[in-house]
Amino acid sequence: MGLKDVLPGSGPSATSGGIFGAGSPTFLTSKVDWIINWGRRNSLWPMPFGTACCAIEMMASAASNYDLARFGMERMSFSPRQADVLICAGRVPYKLAPVLRRIWDQMPQPKWCISMGACASSGGVFDVYSMVQGIDTIIPVDVYIPGCPPRPEGLIYGLMMIQEKIRQESLTKHFEHRAEDPALVALPRASDLEVVGLTGPFGNSTQQEQLTGGVAVRAESPSDDLLS
Amino acid sequence: MTEEKKSGLDAIDEGPTASDAATPTGGGTAGDPADHASVQGLMAQFSDAVMRHRVNAGDQHVVWIDAARSHEMLTWLRDDPDQLYDMMSDVTGLDYGGGRPVEVVYQMYSTTHKHILRLRCELPLDALEIDSVCDLWKSANWLEREVYDLFGVTFKGHPDLRRILMPDDYAEGHPLRKDFPLRGRFSRAEQTRRALNQEVERYYLAEDLDTGLVPQEAPTAEVRRAEDAGGDL
Repeated sequence: MGLKDVLPGSGPSATSGGIFGAGSPTFLTSKVDWIINWGRRNSLWPMPFGTACCAIEMMASAASNYDLARFGMERMSFSPRQADVLICAGRVPYKLAPVLRRIWDQMPQPKWCISMGACASSGGVFDVYSMVQGIDTIIPVDVYIPGCPPRPEGLIYGLMMIQEKIRQESLTKHFEHRAEDPALVALPRASDLEVVGLTGPFGNSTQQEQLTGGVAVRAESPSDDLLS
Repeated sequence: MTEEKKSGLDAIDEGPTASDAATPTGGGTAGDPADHASVQGLMAQFSDAVMRHRVNAGDQHVVWIDAARSHEMLTWLRDDPDQLYDMMSDVTGLDYGGGRPVEVVYQMYSTTHKHILRLRCELPLDALEIDSVCDLWKSANWLEREVYDLFGVTFKGHPDLRRILMPDDYAEGHPLRKDFPLRGRFSRAEQTRRALNQEVERYYLAEDLDTGLVPQEAPTAEVRRAEDAGGDL
């Protein structure tokens, strides 16, 4: 489907020698929203944040068999500053959390985020002391792709859902994920209560009473042997 | 279960649950020192510091040695012309829980004599200290840091003993100890907050960390709300 088929005023006109060949109009009309969204959704450059096996599937998606470039993800942008969509592929340990957050902060607006696979979306099987229980506690996520790992078709479908989301956006509205306060750089995206809610029914083995009681006390005054 | 569900934190204060601490660790079969020249040598040279000898998986000779004399014995194993263990393949830790001692395991290889040997030192829980072997094998440096990080064993004489896998400011303890709760000691919210408050400035250049967001230029929340409402500020 080319511009000619979808743009208004693209029928035959009296003028010959138009931009789409003989018989096509010599002018285009469109809505600013439409043309900007069309440009954005067909030139989504992914920022690959691959930490585990999901990244293998992500690489397969970009290779010739599946060829992400068909849909506008022309190249993987290994700098966040030239990227449009962050693909978090794999588990994220707490030690890596500030790095992920910083990369997200460094991406220019407009930007989108895909959480690829079970570990990025929820911690997956790694319900342990070292692992972030879902990257949505750190950065906003537009599309979650289930799977362990998802097949390349899954990733491509997720990217096409992002494209669909972009298609429905409008310049006249601020979107929640666009509204970024610089004062909030490197801070958790979710509040404490949200983190506890997002991290699942088990919370934390040492404190089923999640936000109350001894734990905060323990956090402030860990005994000496804990700190040694 | 009639008993009230206990918090994992209680176990920290009460100490490890009782278990059969008398059972020797390690498994394997009784070893014959005659099968391995180094075991024989160790027993001849340090008869009072060799505590046990077992054989695992057919030909893996394991010798339990006195932690207080470990450095002396490892030096001998490296330098003696009949031993020449010039490669420290692995230094790792073991915690069987139940109040049993934490062990430090040395896995060594001699490229000259093609010998493999494993040494184990038992450290009581109230004195988790052993001499570092960084001065003998450079490879022990990070391996000992890992054991320190995950088991809390202090290596005396280590040039740079700090955490290697967990974040530098990790305050929940040593995760591979048996008394460590699987999901950590702090709430997920606290863990997330601490993770994002790590001092990334120590590891990255300022230009790497620059977000390009200039506070004056970007609209604040109030401005955005006013815009959305259609008014001007």
